[in-house]
Amino acid sequence: MTATGTAGTDRARHGTASAGARAAATAYRYGLPALLVAMVAIFSILRPAFGTYANALIVLQSVSVVGVVALGVTVSMTTGGFDLSAGACVGAVVMVTALAMVRFNLTGGTAIVAGLLTGLLVAGVNVLLTVVARVPDLVATLGTMFLFQGLALILTGGQSVAAGMTVDGAPAPGRYTEGFAWLGGGSIGTVPVPVAVFALLALAVYVLLHRSRWGRALYAIGGNAEAARLAGIRVARYRALAYVVSGLCAAVAGIMLSARLGRGDVGAGDPYLLQSVAAALIGYAVLGANRPNAPGTVVGALFIGVMINGMTMLNAPYYAQTFVQGALLVGALVVSYTLTPGRRAAGPGR
Amino acid sequence: MTAPVPPPVVAVSGLARSYGATRALDGVTLEVRPGEIAGLIGANGAGKSTLIKVLSGAVRPSAGTITLDGRPFAPAGPLDAQAAGVQTVHQNIDDGVVFGATVAENLTLDSIARRGGRWFSTPARIRAEAGAVAEAAGLALPLDAPVETLPAGARQQIVIARALARRARLLILDEPTSTLSAAEADALARKVRRAAASGVAVLYVSHRLAEIESLCDRVIVLRDGRVRRVFTAPLRRAAIVEAMLGEFAAPVAPVDAAAPADRAGRRTVGAAVLTAAGVRAAPGGTPFDLDLREGEVLGVTGLLGSGKTGLLQQLGGARPLVSGEMRLCGAPYRPAHPRAAIAAGVAYAAEERSAQAIVPGWSVRAHVTLPTLRAHSRAGLLSRRSETAAARRVSARFGVKGPGAEAPIETLSGGNQQKVVVGRWLEAAPRVLLLDEPFRGVDVGARADIGRVVREAGTMAVVVASSDPQEIVEVADRVLVLHEGSPAGELRAAEATPERLAALMSGGAA
Ligand SMILES: Nc1ncnc2c1ncn2[C@@H]1O[C@H](COP(=O)(O)OP(=O)(O)OP(=O)(O)O)[C@@H](O)[C@H]1O
Ligand SMILES: [Mg+2]
Repeated sequence: MTATGTAGTDRARHGTASAGARAAATAYRYGLPALLVAMVAIFSILRPAFGTYANALIVLQSVSVVGVVALGVTVSMTTGGFDLSAGACVGAVVMVTALAMVRFNLTGGTAIVAGLLTGLLVAGVNVLLTVVARVPDLVATLGTMFLFQGLALILTGGQSVAAGMTVDGAPAPGRYTEGFAWLGGGSIGTVPVPVAVFALLALAVYVLLHRSRWGRALYAIGGNAEAARLAGIRVARYRALAYVVSGLCAAVAGIMLSARLGRGDVGAGDPYLLQSVAAALIGYAVLGANRPNAPGTVVGALFIGVMINGMTMLNAPYYAQTFVQGALLVGALVVSYTLTPGRRAAGPGR
Repeated sequence: MTAPVPPPVVAVSGLARSYGATRALDGVTLEVRPGEIAGLIGANGAGKSTLIKVLSGAVRPSAGTITLDGRPFAPAGPLDAQAAGVQTVHQNIDDGVVFGATVAENLTLDSIARRGGRWFSTPARIRAEAGAVAEAAGLALPLDAPVETLPAGARQQIVIARALARRARLLILDEPTSTLSAAEADALARKVRRAAASGVAVLYVSHRLAEIESLCDRVIVLRDGRVRRVFTAPLRRAAIVEAMLGEFAAPVAPVDAAAPADRAGRRTVGAAVLTAAGVRAAPGGTPFDLDLREGEVLGVTGLLGSGKTGLLQQLGGARPLVSGEMRLCGAPYRPAHPRAAIAAGVAYAAEERSAQAIVPGWSVRAHVTLPTLRAHSRAGLLSRRSETAAARRVSARFGVKGPGAEAPIETLSGGNQQKVVVGRWLEAAPRVLLLDEPFRGVDVGARADIGRVVREAGTMAVVVASSDPQEIVEVADRVLVLHEGSPAGELRAAEATPERLAALMSGGAA
C-alpha cells in the first residue's frame, strides 16, 4: 500500500462501473456457480453415467463429509480465526468411535456421544490456546492438529481399528453396530443419511451466520474486533463459540466417515482439512459475498466433489487429483482476490 | 493601483465526478494562487474530500480539467501527483499510515516507497531519518512504537509531518485538525503559514470556522458539488454558514444565540444518575468524585492525552476501573465489559471512528444496529424490517446524507459516517450517554443537531468529551477540565469561556 493509495478510493474507482469493471464484478459474483454448472454439463456429456441420479447421490454423499467439515471451518473463519485442526478432529473422531464400538463393545449411541465429546475437546483446546492464551489462530490450531493426530495414533498404538482385530492376544470384543453404520450407508427415502445431515447442517449454519444476531456478531468480530467489543459484543465468547461449532461439525463429519468406512483407519481424516479449507475459501467469491459464507461453502464443496468424481469417471489417475485440487484452489483464490471489488486489505483489530 | 496577480498554482475548471446517482462534484471551478491559503468549506457530503481525491490523483474525474502551474495536470495516481508537487493529507488518516509498522517507519514511508529509493535500509538508518523528519516537524513521538498504539491525534501528526517534508507546490489538508487539540492545531497553523510564505499554495478544509477565519485569505464554499460562494478576508461567519448550509441555515442560529448562562438556567437538573467516588482518569492521576444528574450535559475537556478517553471508557465499561467505585441510580455499578454497561443503560460512543466503530464493508444499517442487535431480533433471528426502521430513524434525526441505509458506510462522507456511529447510540435509549469527541468532522449544522439532541434528551445524562473548548462551551452545563490525568478544575456553564477552559487545559489557573 502506498502512502495515499486508499482502499476507499479503489472502491470509488469501481464505482465508475466501466464496462470492464462491471463484467469483472459479474464474473466475480456468478463465476463459480456458473463454472460448477458447466463442469457438471461437460462431465455428463463425456460420461453419460455421470449425469444420472444415482451418480448425483454418490457425488453428494462424498461431498457431505467434506461439506460438513467445511461448514465448521467457515464458521471459524468468520471471526478472523482459522481452524486448521478440523481434519485432525475428523480423524480423532473416527478412531474414538471405532474404539468405542470395537474395542470396548459399547453401543452406537455411546460411540456418537464419545465422538461429539472428542469434537468438543478439540474445540476446548483451540479455545484455550487462542482465546485464553492468545496464541495466534493459525499457529494454535496447527498445534492442536498435531496434538490430535498424535493422540489418535497413541490411542490405537498406531494401528487401524477394525472388527476382529486382536487386542492383547484376544480378538476385540465388539463391532460396528448396525444403527451406527446406517449413519454412513443408510438412507431416508432415496436420500443418503450423510446428504440429509449435510443439508440440515448447511441450513443451520446459514441461519446462524446470515439470519441470526449471533452470526452478525461473529462477522463484526472478524471485521473489526475492537468496534465489536465497544458495541457490547463479548468477543472472547463468540470466538469460543466459533471454534465449538467448528469442532462439532468436524465431529459430525467424523462420525459419518467412521460409519461409512466401518473401521477406524489411521489418517482417515487427513485429506479433509485441505479440501474443506479449499471449499470455504472458494466460497468467499460466490455471489460476491467476499467473506466466509454458508452458501458459498456449499458451492465450494460441491465444486470439489464434482471435480474429484468427474475426474475419477474419466479415469484420471488418483495421484493426479491432488494436483488438480491444488490448481483449482489457486484458481479460486485468484478469482477471490483479483476480481474482488475494492476491499480493505487489513485494518486495526482484524 | 493593484499589485500584479501571480498566475494560479492550480486551476480547476468544470470538474465533475459522480458515484452512481450521487453527483459528488458537479462542475467545480476554482483556483489557488501561490502563497495563498484557501479555505474549502461545505456541509458534510458537499464534495470536499472528493475534490481533494481528484486533485491528489486518488480518484479520476468524469469531466473537467485541472492545470498545475499552467500545464494540464491529469495524475495517473497518488504517487504521480506527489511527484508533481501536490502533497495531500487525507481526511481518513488511517489510510495514510501503515499499521504494524513503527512510527519511524511511517515517518520515512516516502523514501521507502519512492521509485529509485534505497532498496536496502537498516533500522538505525530509518530511525535517524525519521528523527530528522520528526524534529523538523517539532514532533515528540516514540519512534519505536507501533503506529497503531498511538492515539489518532498522533497519527494525524505523522501524516502531516510526512506531507510537509515533501517538496510542495500545492499543499492540501483535509480536516487536519479534527483529531488535534488547540496546542497542536496552533503549531500546525504556524507551519501552514510558513509554507504559504514560501510560495506554496494551500487548500485547507475544516469545519472549525474560527480556524478558517484566522488562517485563510479566501474561503471557497462548496455545496452539493458546486462552488456556491467565494469570500475574501475579512470573513463574516454568518454569511459563510448560510452559503454552506443554504436553506438549512436556520437551525444553526440557536447555538450561537443561546448564551450558556440561560441554557443553564432553563434546564431542570434532576436526581443523580451516575455517581463515582475516588475514580481516576488515568492510573497516575489524582482521584476525584463525579456525579451526573438527570438531564445534565457534563463537558470533559483537556489536551491530547489528558485522560478524557480514559475516564469515559471506565464509565462505559470499555476499560477496567483504575480506582474508586461507582453507583448507577443507587445500585453498585462496576461494568466488566461494554455489554454490561449497555445492559445497565450506559452507552459509550468511542472516539476513533475507523478503528473503534467502522466495520469495513458493512452497511449503514448494520452499523446502526450493532449495539442493539438484541432489540432487533426475535428468538435470535434478526428482523430486517426493524433494522431498516432504526437506520431510517437515526438518519432522519441527524440528517445523514448519503446513498441510503444499505450502502456500505465507506461511501458516506466522513461527517455523515460520524453522525451514524454517534447517532446509533440513542437507539439503545441509554440513561447515561458518553460521547467521546462526537463532533469530529461534522459540519456546523450537524454539530448543532447533535448538540440539540443531546440537550433535549429528557432525563438522560450526557457526558461529552472534546479537546475543543468551543465545542464544550456550546453544549455543556458543567465542564470538567483534565490535565495530565488529574482534574484541573470544574466550571459551571456560566463561568466557562473558551479562554478560561484553554488556560485550565494547559495547566494554568482559570
Ligand atoms: N465511494 C463512494 N461511493 C458512493 N458515494 C460516495 C463515495 N464517496 C463519496 N460519495 C458521496 O459523495 C458525496 C460527497 O462526499 P465527500 O466525501 O466529498 O464529502 P465532504 O464534503 O468531504 O464531506 P465531509 O465534510 O463529511 O467530509 C457524498 O454524498 C458521499 O456520500
Ligand atoms: Mg470529507
